[in-house]
Amino acid sequence: MTDLRNAGKYYWHYLKKYWRGFILSSLLIAFSTWCIVIAPTYLGRAVEELTTYLGQWTNPATRAQASLGSFNQTLIVYILLYVGDAVTIFGASLILARVTAYSTGTMRVGLFRKMQRMQVKYFDTHSDGDILARFTSDLDNIFNAMNQALLEVLLAVAQFIGLLIVMFNQNATMAWVTMASTPIALIIAALVMRKAGTAVNQQQDDIGQLNGYINEQITGQKVLITNGLQHDSLRGFRNYNNQVRKSALTGQIWSGILNPLMQGMSLLNTAIVIFFGSWLALNGSLSKGAALALVVVFVNYAQQYYQPIMSLTSLYSMIQLAITGARRIDEVRDQPDEINPTEGGQPDGIHHELMIDNVRFSYAPGKEILHGVTIKVQRGEMVALVGPTGSGKTTVMNLLNRFYDVDSGQITFDGTDIRTFDLKALRQNVGIVLQEPQLFTGTIADNIRYGEPTASMARVIDAAKQANIHDFIESLPDQYATRVSDEQSVFSAGQKQLMSIARTILTNPRLLILDEATSNVDTVTEAKIQAAMDNVIQGRTSFVIAHRLKTILNADKIVVLKDGAIIEQGNHEALLAENGFYAELYRNQMVFE
Amino acid sequence: MKVLMPYFKRYHVDVTVAMLSVIVLVFATLWQPRLLQVVMTAIIKNDQQTVFREGLLLLGLAALGIAGGIINTVYSARVALGVATDLRLDLYAKIQSFAYADVEKFSASNLVVRMTNDINQVQQIVMAGFQQITRIPLLFIGAFVLAIVTMPEQWWVIIVMMAIILLATWIAVRHMTTYFAETQQDIENVNTVTRENLMGIRVVKSFVQETNEINKFSAASDQLTTVTAKIGYWFSILMPIFFLTANLAVGVAVYLVGQNITTHPSYLAAITSFISYLMQILYAVINGGFLMTFASRAFISIGRIDEVLATKPSMTYVTSDDDKPLTGDISFEHVSFTYPGDSQPTLKDVSFQIAAGSMLGIVGATGSGKTTLAQLIARLYDPDSGQIKIGGVDVREIPEKALRSTVAYVLQRSTLFSGTISANLKQVRPDAQLNHMQWAANVAQASEFIERLPQTYDAPVEERSQNFSGGQKQRLAITRGVIANPEILILDDATSALDARSEKLVQEAMDRDLTSTTTVVIAEKIASIIRADQILVLDDGRLSGTGTHRELLQTNAIYQAIYQTQKAREEGEND
Ligand SMILES: Nc1ncnc2c1ncn2[C@@H]1O[C@H](COP(=O)(O)OP(=O)(O)O)[C@@H](O)[C@H]1O
Ligand SMILES: Nc1ncnc2c1ncn2[C@@H]1O[C@H](COP(=O)(O)OP(=O)(O)O)[C@@H](O)[C@H]1O
Ligand SMILES: [Mg+2]
Ligand SMILES: [Mg+2]
Repeated sequence: MTDLRNAGKYYWHYLKKYWRGFILSSLLIAFSTWCIVIAPTYLGRAVEELTTYLGQWTNPATRAQASLGSFNQTLIVYILLYVGDAVTIFGASLILARVTAYSTGTMRVGLFRKMQRMQVKYFDTHSDGDILARFTSDLDNIFNAMNQALLEVLLAVAQFIGLLIVMFNQNATMAWVTMASTPIALIIAALVMRKAGTAVNQQQDDIGQLNGYINEQITGQKVLITNGLQHDSLRGFRNYNNQVRKSALTGQIWSGILNPLMQGMSLLNTAIVIFFGSWLALNGSLSKGAALALVVVFVNYAQQYYQPIMSLTSLYSMIQLAITGARRIDEVRDQPDEINPTEGGQPDGIHHELMIDNVRFSYAPGKEILHGVTIKVQRGEMVALVGPTGSGKTTVMNLLNRFYDVDSGQITFDGTDIRTFDLKALRQNVGIVLQEPQLFTGTIADNIRYGEPTASMARVIDAAKQANIHDFIESLPDQYATRVSDEQSVFSAGQKQLMSIARTILTNPRLLILDEATSNVDTVTEAKIQAAMDNVIQGRTSFVIAHRLKTILNADKIVVLKDGAIIEQGNHEALLAENGFYAELYRNQMVFE
Repeated sequence: MKVLMPYFKRYHVDVTVAMLSVIVLVFATLWQPRLLQVVMTAIIKNDQQTVFREGLLLLGLAALGIAGGIINTVYSARVALGVATDLRLDLYAKIQSFAYADVEKFSASNLVVRMTNDINQVQQIVMAGFQQITRIPLLFIGAFVLAIVTMPEQWWVIIVMMAIILLATWIAVRHMTTYFAETQQDIENVNTVTRENLMGIRVVKSFVQETNEINKFSAASDQLTTVTAKIGYWFSILMPIFFLTANLAVGVAVYLVGQNITTHPSYLAAITSFISYLMQILYAVINGGFLMTFASRAFISIGRIDEVLATKPSMTYVTSDDDKPLTGDISFEHVSFTYPGDSQPTLKDVSFQIAAGSMLGIVGATGSGKTTLAQLIARLYDPDSGQIKIGGVDVREIPEKALRSTVAYVLQRSTLFSGTISANLKQVRPDAQLNHMQWAANVAQASEFIERLPQTYDAPVEERSQNFSGGQKQRLAITRGVIANPEILILDDATSALDARSEKLVQEAMDRDLTSTTTVVIAEKIASIIRADQILVLDDGRLSGTGTHRELLQTNAIYQAIYQTQKAREEGEND
């Protein structure tokens, strides 16, 4: 039931702005229901008129007066009523189709917006494929359900209300009798729906997991092929696939049996009306003739009474999928956003110094990665971070533009804690070339001007030249207009890193971070871009992480990080003289003749 | 539809039960009005006994209906899920038989949509189909025959009504088919943008491109919205047309009865039943019509699934379960290679030989073809011309299992699968015991951090192995590479994120523990390959030189240039 309430909230959130559409379509539907209720009486009247006509015609005395005029007229009204019905239903479904399409569109974009606001931590710990399933499977289910159920729900409600009015007008006692089985039906429905709800929740979660598995495996297809793991992968897939089959079978059955159950209830209800009606005819206060006529009428009503319920329950499996879909999307919507101070300060580069002040940090509680790291950087300095892998270099950089926040201690720009800055403004000041490059679908030019989509072509080319990737791009048939995506790029791994560097150079950030930015680039190319990088870094505060120490020899300060703590600090000469960890690293790498 | 036939056959029992249970349902549906009629007459006549008897019968009918309905639901679901599960399995098996180029052609993102969303469309139509498939024709034929019997002159009214409804359905289906195709395409686009944002979330955030990404997504999403709205509009037209047509038919029928009432006075009494038959025909036709439109979406999906199923893998292996590893000699003879879709070859006339157990180093500029060459050894692609031999056998003649157990390839972009460390290791060596894992991790210098994890080898690996640093990931990938003690080990820049000390330790361990293994090491650092028995220098896809470090230092200008950039300052700039 909480699922139902949450789903209610979810849909209310996205549908409330369409209230005009709902009111208008409800009015149209009310009108069409009126047409449908009235029309049969005209048909009845037409038949009566026809009977009269036939009577007059058969009688030679009145044959001259016999006319089909009023019969024809009644029939015209009958047809006009159905034309009215068709037109109004058309109007209502047009409105609802629009509402359905556009509200699911809003939900989809809303979910994506939410995704863009969420913390990096969420993405680090959740399966991409499962999140994707919410976009492709759950939202599709929601669309299907709304597409078919919205109109049905409104129609059913209108018919139901109409019928109640008509029944109570006729005879209250019999109306109550007709409704007598409703509580039982409701209880059955509630029981079945609870089972179905659980089952369909399970089903969609399993589909999410299956999606996660498929997405991860196919993304890593190169690993599968080169290790000959295809059969292995297939075996793993079987488990997920069978799991989906099992839970979906339960889900489909529970949500599918509601309709036959309600059909049975409808017949049961009819039987109740028959039995009780005949008892009433014998023992009631009404005259026998009137009572019997009443029973006949109410047997008809009893049939109609369950009609709306049945048309709704026939759509129930879709509706349940939509309820579950809302729950799964809500799960994402409930995730915390990145913390962004209101009215946060607008940093304007670093004027004096950047301070990483006794920072402690852990990704998971209780497992501290950084144990009190302090680094002081003067404006315009280049700081190199070296140390074994896993020592926490990338982690420090993750804190500088607040992918994660410190546990204790602080990071300050000119004495101001970066957590008081507006998040976007902070990140605009910090340019980072990530350890693992990532390209986006689009042209090469689009990718280079990713951080500044309005940048001119001249600046794009300039950035590419500085990153030493221009010549290669020029050699491609479509040059800068070549379409690339992350998985189907025309680039080698090193070239991708160069693209990533060009992308950052173009944005001209105040604080530049290079996190093993050239690890897959050959050293000749690296030396070439070094000159350009020197230009870029010149006068700019920067952090450089690199294992090839040659790239950092000119650093103003070298910080050696080991196991999340700083063990040495100083410039190249000083550290060599110290003859400690750094000196050994340097000897390991450089001296070979 | 032909694609599905074999799957239905597999579930012929369920199919039969589902269809038979529908007959029970139809029987209940058709009998119920008759029964009610009897009851009503009895009530009017105040015939208590009949009322009671027929009332009980009505209850029996209710029970029959419930039973039929439930059985039908259960068996339809079994068919639908059986077909969908099997189809998905076959689809996945097909994808797993693909060469890497085939996966690239479809793209991972699109394959995922086909495996989930498209299969789901098929599942839904099969489910709906088996709930309706016998009901519609039975109800239709029953009502049609009864209607004709009631008023034979009016046969053409029924035919015209049906013609109009079918025409409307046909027109709608034709339009909607294109829209449904667009829908699936748009869903793929939405999936692609989302997936890219999930993988590159750090890039998006650090460049503060959230707004632009939202705009990009909105554009993709709006296309989907527009198409779905159009589909909705078509549905909106269909329903009223169906009902209006039916009620017009009723009107016309009654009008005609009126005009000819003097010749057929008995028709007066038949009007009511004729109308109810008309309505039943209508319901059958409408349900059939809707089923058709849904089916048209499913057909699109079936087509998309079939497209994958019908794709022949662009690379085949000799059929043999022989997994006996070959020896580790490698030879390239005049090998040239062009990536599918490219016009220029990426590798040009490359020849070299390396004996089993020795070490081959590959250096060269970024984009010179080092990775490409390594991928050819692992047969991710086949060369355009020339011949590659492993253990003296052309790679195209080596059974897949033997090839995979001979060659271990540590990719440049290290990828682990989410789960645990040991699960990743056991994938390549199912019988791996703790001591095997420790041995391999020792070689890769990974035990140092694995053993400090609380769960050591059972420590979790998150999506995108995000909970490990770049160098830890690489060392885990190397661990996986060496655990099966392969004949040939390719390390494609696999130590780029390692500090010099760890890297040196890895090399020493490999020299010590993998003595019989041929190692192919691609590296940027000369230090990584300085001990190699043979070093290849690649230049724009050509082999510019081969030899040992000393030889190349004498003879090869490119190698000298690379060396120059890596010399220690003490030596190079000592002036
Ligand atoms: N997202 C994460 N979740 C949990 N642990 C992480 C995460 N990222 C890194 N770690 C751990 O933090 C430590 C430091 O990693 P990192 O900063 O990436 O090292 P490096 O110095 O190589 O850049 C490693 O032990 C790694 O396992
Ligand atoms: N999948 C691919 N499709 C098309 N071209 C590719 C593909 N992979 C690499 N290339 C091209 O082949 C050339 C060589 O790439 P690669 O072998 O990865 O270089 P590297 O020597 O840096 O490892 C690159 O210039 C790149 O443009
Ligand atoms: Mg790192
Ligand atoms: Mg490469």
